[in-house]
Amino acid sequence: MAVIDFEFRNSIIQKDLGNTLAYCYQCGTCSGACPVAQVTKGRYNPRKLILNSLLGLKENLLLGAENNFNIWGCTVCDTCDEMCPQNVELTEIFILLKNMSVEKGEAPEYYTTQAKFILEHGKAIPLAPAIERRRDQMGLPKAPKVDKKEIRALLKETGLVKIIGPLEEEKKEGVK
Amino acid sequence: MEEYDLFPGCVIQNRIPYIEDSARKVFDKLGIKTSDAPFGCCPDPVGFNAVHHKSWMAMSARNLTIAEIDGRSIASLCNGCTQTLKAVNVELKQSEEEKDSINAVLAKIGREFKGTISVKHFVQILIEDVSIEKIKEAITTPFTGLKVACHTGCHYARPSHIMQWDDPMEPKCLRELVEATGATAVDYDEEVLCCGAGVGNTEEEPAMQILKQKFNSAIQAGAECFVVICPACFQQMDGNQRILKKMFEKDYNIPILYLTELFALAMGYKYDDLNLKLHRARPQALLEKYNAV
Ligand code: SF4
Ligand code: SF4
Repeated sequence: MAVIDFEFRNSIIQKDLGNTLAYCYQCGTCSGACPVAQVTKGRYNPRKLILNSLLGLKENLLLGAENNFNIWGCTVCDTCDEMCPQNVELTEIFILLKNMSVEKGEAPEYYTTQAKFILEHGKAIPLAPAIERRRDQMGLPKAPKVDKKEIRALLKETGLVKIIGPLEEEKKEGVK
Repeated sequence: MEEYDLFPGCVIQNRIPYIEDSARKVFDKLGIKTSDAPFGCCPDPVGFNAVHHKSWMAMSARNLTIAEIDGRSIASLCNGCTQTLKAVNVELKQSEEEKDSINAVLAKIGREFKGTISVKHFVQILIEDVSIEKIKEAITTPFTGLKVACHTGCHYARPSHIMQWDDPMEPKCLRELVEATGATAVDYDEEVLCCGAGVGNTEEEPAMQILKQKFNSAIQAGAECFVVICPACFQQMDGNQRILKKMFEKDYNIPILYLTELFALAMGYKYDDLNLKLHRARPQALLEKYNAV
């Protein structure tokens, strides 16, 4: 039997990002406009995500790493937010769901890998030597150096390190 | 004209710098002045925000403080960076509570968000600071007859309550800019359809289905190439044609041009000047028709 988890539902509604959730009247406009719903025959379904969030049916949402397409199938085109007659900010609610999925270790690898790159290099894509040479050949200015230390300090403060774990080199430093 | 801090974004700066090169060439021709700044990742509104919202806000706010110290607004070359930086800028300007909470973490690295600058996509700067008329005057090699499918992309004008620019579901600016070169912007059914890059981070097939749908619709309408204004769209549409070929046994081989590349070509630069051979779907044959090689 489904367990309604009010705490879960409130954890969405009470946040800035989730406070439009209660306006949903399940008209289905979002799913009708969603390009991923179209090409996956509803395997991804934004209206259902909103319904399960409203009902607090956490167990219908966080289904494990093998079945994460229900949450991570979103291509983040922001069409549903624009079309929703009730101004439900679906993609913001989905950010909360995705953040929870990451914390449970259920997110696709792409996302945690990118976050680790940002933590390590200050950028999702660091400058590789080959590209640096190409930039020089093109006569482009040197890419300004990013203050990696400052960014790491910031991301420790925000709590990211707790979620995705420290960098390898800092783990070692911790042991010393 | 106002001077900006240039925000190329890490995809353009560190993976496809020929697009940055084309942008700088066009900005020079049009008198748009920019400075470089040591920005970090914007960070990615699709990726990093989904991992940890607060870290996304804080990283973005840190970038904003760098521009604030320079006293310059940000000129972004990328839809995703524009959305991230603009969303956080607007949010922190509107909500004292959010601002205090982000400033509390910024304080640990000696920074403070003040809310003194704005963030603009380069398309907005072309329209507002330069104007279509001035751009037309700078065109020396017009593309009369070229049929273009405009692909504006998702994170440029949506969510509209934050972006407050152009039309979120029927964008007009890119069409006007493309037509300023003498080219024709074709009408096609799937013009506002996403490129599919986002879902591609999770699963390839739906991403390719979406891309195929977009390509078919544009080609049916007579388009000879796409013009884009976002590096994520560019990579999905140019780089992944080989996956489409494998998956659906169809070789589209349709050129994808960045708007700044189209402009640079129309302002007299040639194929080799712009390193267009680095595109996966090479636009050489198409551009020969227009004396741009
Ligand atoms: S379009 Fe809005 S109101 Fe309708 S089902 Fe979707 S979220 Fe609910
Ligand atoms: S943002 Fe996500 S859920 Fe909304 S329409 Fe786009 S793909 Fe569908």
